[in-house]
Amino acid sequence: MEMLVASAIGILTGAGVYLVLRRRTLTVVVGLTLLSYGVNLFLFAMGRLTIDRPPVLTDGGAPYSDPLPQALVLTAIVISFGMTALVVVLALRGFLDTGTDDSAIREADMVRGFGPRHLGTEARKD
Amino acid sequence: MVNHWIIVPVVLPALTAVLLLFLPRESVVSRRVVSVASVLALAGISVALWGMAQQGPQAYAVGDWPAPFGIVVVLDRLSALMLLAASAIALAAVLYAIIGWDRRGAHFHTLFHFQLLGINGAFLTGDIFNLFVFFEVLLIASYGLVLHGGGAWRLKSGFQYAAVNLIASTIFLFAVGLLYGITGTLNMADLAVRVAALPAQDHALLRVGALLLFVVFAVKCALVPFHWWLPSAYSAGAAPATALFAVLTKVGAYAIIRMHTLVFAGDAAGISGTLQDLLVPAAAVTLVAGAIGVLGSRSMLQLASYSTVASMGTLLLAAAGLGAEQISAALYYLLHSCLIGAALFLLVDLVAAGRGRVADRLLPEAPVPQALMLGGLFFLCGMAMVGMPPLSGFVGKVAILDGLRGTDDAVLAWAVILGTGVLLLVGFVRAGSTVFWKAGSAVSRSDTARPAARRAGLVVAALVAGTAVLSALGGAVLEATDATAAELLDRELYIRAVAPAASSPES
Amino acid sequence: MYVPLVVLIPTLGAVLPALAGRQGRAGCAAVAATASLAALTVLLSVAPAVMRGEPVGFHVPWIPQIGLALSFFVDGLGLFFAALILIMGVLVIVYGRYYLAPSDPPGRFFASLLLFQGAMLGIVLSDNIILMLVFWELTSLSSFLLIGYWNHLAESRQGARMALAITGGGGLALFAGVLLLGGIAGTYELSEIIGRADAVQSSPLFGPALALILLGAFTKSAQFPFHFWLPHAMAAPTPVSAYLHSATMVKAGIFLLARLWPVFGETEAWFLTVAPIGLATMLVGAWIAIFKDDLKAVLAYSTVSHLGLITMLLGFGTKMAAVAAVLHILNHALFKAALFMSAGIVDHETGTRSMARLGGLRRAMPVTAALAVTAAAAMAGVPLLNGFVSKEMMLESASHAVYAGQAWLVPLLATLGALFSVAYSARLAGMVFFGEERHPVDAHPHDPPAGMWLPVAVLVVPAIVLGLWPALAQPLVEVVAAAVVGGDLPEFQLALWHGLTPALGMSVAALLGGVAILVVYSPIDRIRIALPRPEAKAIFDASVRGGAAASQALVRTLQNEDLTRYALVIMLATVALGVFGFLTGPHGAGTRAMLEPSLPAVVGWGVLAVACGIAVVRHRDRLLLLLVTAVAGLVVSLTFLHFSAPDLALTQISVEVVTTILLLLALNLLPKTTPRETGAPLRMAHAGLAGASGLGAGLLAFAVLTRDYVPISDYHLAQARPGGGGTNVVNVILVDFRGYDTFGEIIVLGIAALVIFALLELSAKARRAAGWAARAPSYRTGSAHPIMLVVTTRLLLPLVLTAGVYIFLRGHNLPGGGFIAGIVVGIAFIMQYVASGYAWADERFHFDPQRMIAAGVLLAGLTGVGSWAFGHPFLTSTHGHVHIPLIGDVELASVLLFDLGVFLVVVGTVLLALATIAAVESIGDRRPADDRPAAGERRPIPARPVRIEEEERV
Repeated sequence: MEMLVASAIGILTGAGVYLVLRRRTLTVVVGLTLLSYGVNLFLFAMGRLTIDRPPVLTDGGAPYSDPLPQALVLTAIVISFGMTALVVVLALRGFLDTGTDDSAIREADMVRGFGPRHLGTEARKD
Repeated sequence: MVNHWIIVPVVLPALTAVLLLFLPRESVVSRRVVSVASVLALAGISVALWGMAQQGPQAYAVGDWPAPFGIVVVLDRLSALMLLAASAIALAAVLYAIIGWDRRGAHFHTLFHFQLLGINGAFLTGDIFNLFVFFEVLLIASYGLVLHGGGAWRLKSGFQYAAVNLIASTIFLFAVGLLYGITGTLNMADLAVRVAALPAQDHALLRVGALLLFVVFAVKCALVPFHWWLPSAYSAGAAPATALFAVLTKVGAYAIIRMHTLVFAGDAAGISGTLQDLLVPAAAVTLVAGAIGVLGSRSMLQLASYSTVASMGTLLLAAAGLGAEQISAALYYLLHSCLIGAALFLLVDLVAAGRGRVADRLLPEAPVPQALMLGGLFFLCGMAMVGMPPLSGFVGKVAILDGLRGTDDAVLAWAVILGTGVLLLVGFVRAGSTVFWKAGSAVSRSDTARPAARRAGLVVAALVAGTAVLSALGGAVLEATDATAAELLDRELYIRAVAPAASSPES
Repeated sequence: MYVPLVVLIPTLGAVLPALAGRQGRAGCAAVAATASLAALTVLLSVAPAVMRGEPVGFHVPWIPQIGLALSFFVDGLGLFFAALILIMGVLVIVYGRYYLAPSDPPGRFFASLLLFQGAMLGIVLSDNIILMLVFWELTSLSSFLLIGYWNHLAESRQGARMALAITGGGGLALFAGVLLLGGIAGTYELSEIIGRADAVQSSPLFGPALALILLGAFTKSAQFPFHFWLPHAMAAPTPVSAYLHSATMVKAGIFLLARLWPVFGETEAWFLTVAPIGLATMLVGAWIAIFKDDLKAVLAYSTVSHLGLITMLLGFGTKMAAVAAVLHILNHALFKAALFMSAGIVDHETGTRSMARLGGLRRAMPVTAALAVTAAAAMAGVPLLNGFVSKEMMLESASHAVYAGQAWLVPLLATLGALFSVAYSARLAGMVFFGEERHPVDAHPHDPPAGMWLPVAVLVVPAIVLGLWPALAQPLVEVVAAAVVGGDLPEFQLALWHGLTPALGMSVAALLGGVAILVVYSPIDRIRIALPRPEAKAIFDASVRGGAAASQALVRTLQNEDLTRYALVIMLATVALGVFGFLTGPHGAGTRAMLEPSLPAVVGWGVLAVACGIAVVRHRDRLLLLLVTAVAGLVVSLTFLHFSAPDLALTQISVEVVTTILLLLALNLLPKTTPRETGAPLRMAHAGLAGASGLGAGLLAFAVLTRDYVPISDYHLAQARPGGGGTNVVNVILVDFRGYDTFGEIIVLGIAALVIFALLELSAKARRAAGWAARAPSYRTGSAHPIMLVVTTRLLLPLVLTAGVYIFLRGHNLPGGGFIAGIVVGIAFIMQYVASGYAWADERFHFDPQRMIAAGVLLAGLTGVGSWAFGHPFLTSTHGHVHIPLIGDVELASVLLFDLGVFLVVVGTVLLALATIAAVESIGDRRPADDRPAAGERRPIPARPVRIEEEERV
């Protein structure tokens, strides 16, 4: 069983790494998602594997599986959810603005404004 | 009696950020007032905390759960020092932002305070997973800030910045998990105890965990070959954001110092030695890469970005030794680097603003309005960055070279630090003379002669003055950093403060 | 006691001219001169004591940790140089007041001049060598500003850059040298270091220290091969050239040599390096000077030559040579500054410095001519003038110097150097002031106002006096030389006539030979031009330009803005470090008993493997990619369930749903397929790295899974009920034991939502782009709303909401809790958007997700702060029982409020994230006609120049 879980972690991580190394933003995002699956599983596995011992206290339910990694993974899942959501939208917006979803930056994109108070439409309220 | 002040640097920005969300969208002024007031308060509290930290480390058990079972927040000299630096830079950044940058996108101040919350949380926490959480907070806030102002460049480099850091965060989780998997704890003090008592058969895994952590922090402090994100993100980012980022890179340096003076101290599993073997060459390369980048920069933003890289290299070259003198020197240089980094980025923003279409590119095309003031400031910033006396860069370098004297890597370190000094000097001189001399100084144009520009100049001047003070009061500052380093090297103080009866594997 | 004032008055006084800028040249010059005079008076007040041989000191610690102290002391040497600096300073300021054109900004000029003066005084009066280093670099910086004063001229900028690069760079070498020296001697106080000469000389670090210090001194004093920067520094206004680049700054290096003479002077290494360098410099400088046409260039190279001469004398390491050096420093300062000022006058009057265009000016400007010619004669070493005396002494010492066993070598070359200097001096005087009158036609040269020639006279008169009665200088030279050698001097008499000595013969030879060269000038010049001449400046510029270009190319190739490469390098390094870390430490296999593989587990594993395989191989079909990713996520959540983590399973699955919806919505606007972009070899490399990372992660996991450990979590299991008031330990940990983590976690969520919201408040252009993409043929949803879906979702809404409440409340005791509840409720609403369309939903749900998030964070925060009121730390919980019908007995803990905060944030985030994307898509449906892009319009790409209107949008 341990072998199965360990190799599953390996598979997820490997697939994630490969996709992260693609050029297109969306593919990279998916790669990061797979990576997060892999690492969440890893983190979870750090509490070792137990079957049918959920850490929900019942009379004579002991021993229980290690609840701490589960809590950590839960936090990690939530955080990576937030991150993924943000990055997806970032990729989307980048595509909408530049017409390409290539993750590399083109010279033509390297344009920005300077100065604390810009000439022009600074009146826009946030 | 519980000292609630310790948690305030986390709670205050959080509440401020939320309050800002409740303020009506239209009331720019009220946002600015709240934001600045909060940062001022934070600065005051940081000073007070530095005072409290003089009685040695003290732990604050969040949720009233005893360590190592709950999460502890720990105030010691190091964290207090970092808080001071952060709030000082934050003050400058926010004052610069309210001149106009904050109106060029949504939620600037909210994100700004969330970023502060993340930074302060990372400096204060005594729990390794909680460190991860606050890293994420400061990162996601920084993504928002990098994007502030919009435009294709920020979107693309923002994505790259986020992607690189998400990779780093994944590695962070692997490392934390691994450490928990073999030690069964997350509390740093407890980790220190358990790591020391770890059986030899776990050392290989422990080393992997330590090195993975090191990678995460190396990404944060732009250590070659993990530095890629910095030039791009710092070049695209909005000026006040990048000014605050001057502290961001230091979070990585802080984490390295903290981990390796507390958890992996005493050469547990030979980690300290390995760290030095890795960090010294890497930092040297970083410094050289930064210097080369400065010499070869095509724009003032590149100049600023790569000089940041170079200063991180210097800092880590000093810190690698983990000796009292080295750490003290590194901390002094850290303060200097925060100030001057922020100053430089704000200054570049001001200069570029006055040059119209040429913007920040190193071309002798557009004359700089107010060349005397801005040129003077650039001259001083350059001096400080290169390490020319009498500004703090010089004092920092003397302290570092002194600290490295007699170590195994002394010759290499001295050669690199002094040699790159020449490159940096030439790079800054070229840039300065191209922008401020070759282009010829024009009469102040109305749009930049506005009070806005003058106020912005004042902020930069204040930061530069900061470096001057840092060197004028160098004796006192170095005393403080000496005390900090001494406290770090006596980790028992920290451990006792956190877990009077730190649980050992036997218990 | 007053010593620091000598340094401080000019340094701080530097602000005065800057302020007096409005007052014009006169005003600025006046304040500047006053400052210098004030400093001079202070200096003279301590002079008597010093002349009695009682050095005056001052010491205040500054940064003891690095040995930096504000310690000054005035001994003979210091007094001599300080007086030189201040007197020259006053003269130059007076001269400069007339020299500057009305158009030149005087404030900047005199301010920099005073700053330089202060720094220079600092060098010569510092006792602490780190402090000296500080001033040393300051002189480099202020001279940079002064050389670049006319920054509209290219040669000014280049000259300034080169000067700073060379002297500043040398300064860094000196920096290292000083630290080494201080380290060896155990002190940075000069007065003490001198006492420890033996310790220094016996140290293994003696060599490096000496080399580095000499590097600093030689660059500063333009010694060969660093001599080339000085002539180009002559682009500076003439007063500056006269002051910095002949009288003072370039003497800083000499001063340093003199200062450290007692430490290094009598060692072999010193003689072997310093003497020949000085000799070479003397010859090279003099030789070049002979053939220059520009007045200032001649003077510049002659300065180089004379600096070489002095260096050589100090290099000899004999006390008499040191005496000669001191005397020559004085003499050179007198006649060279005079010559520079005269050159400035000529330039001022005729508008040219080219000797070829000048001649016979003695008629037009007799006073200037008289002064200049006298000074030139002194430079040539003509008897009855001060130059002669010191040159005699130089030749005298040279005649005793034996280098490389050759007794004739040094004397011969020294004579040659003297001979050259005669040649260029004679040529200069002859061409400019004698012969038939020549000057640019439009110029009407005549003697300038007294203000300009008086300073020259003030310098020339003593040159004559000392030439006639050298003994007058005796007491001064004795005190100074004594300070240099740091001990007693041999008996000597400064006199005009020493009898028929070899030195006399050598100077006669030099005088005759010099004239002889001029006779055969043109043939020699032809030969010289024929020979290859390395142009140092060209080499320097080329190397700098090359270096910059090379580094730029390097940066461009490495920093290629390509994420793929960055990620590759980072992950490669990570894997490498991981492997390294593992292999370099002892490892023992674990002994923990393993579980038997169960059938569902094996099946799940298979599904996962296939899904990931497809993801890798077919990733260019994006819809498929998302699908298999969702499958992988599903398997992961089942894994959690299988290994007794119901909360994780629930969370994972709900997050899974939302993420998938999000990705699908995004995909609607993004291209549906990815082009193949990376070649096979690179793909293989990527695959290799991926495999390695996967293998690494797997092995780590296995290694841990198979060993035992002692976790802290037993405490959590034990305390969950009594301390945390809940039976679902995971939830209790989340909201109580580690509520602080959760606090940070919801803030991350909140920030994500805010940023997403900001990102999708689209600009007109991006909106059009969105509408454009939404029209893509493959895209149907959003416009069509199948009735069945609509009805079911609307019926489901209340049910789901109730379920949410239930999940929320039971969370503390059974799997569930704020987060999962929030996701469920969020999804319920999102279904309305998807099913009934954005417009419909948007009209019905009137709540601001941002406020909701804010409220959530606030609630969580306040719950935490609340515990302060009871004297407990942040986020301390309390709990009690409450009975709610249907749901049953609920452990109603304060953490429920905290969890409510979590709930609010999650709902808000889900709504904001998904609704905003839905909004973007909906624009595609209801795109106003005027917003329609013209046929064939390409999405505009922002190009330079900066497009502000794009800038202003987020």
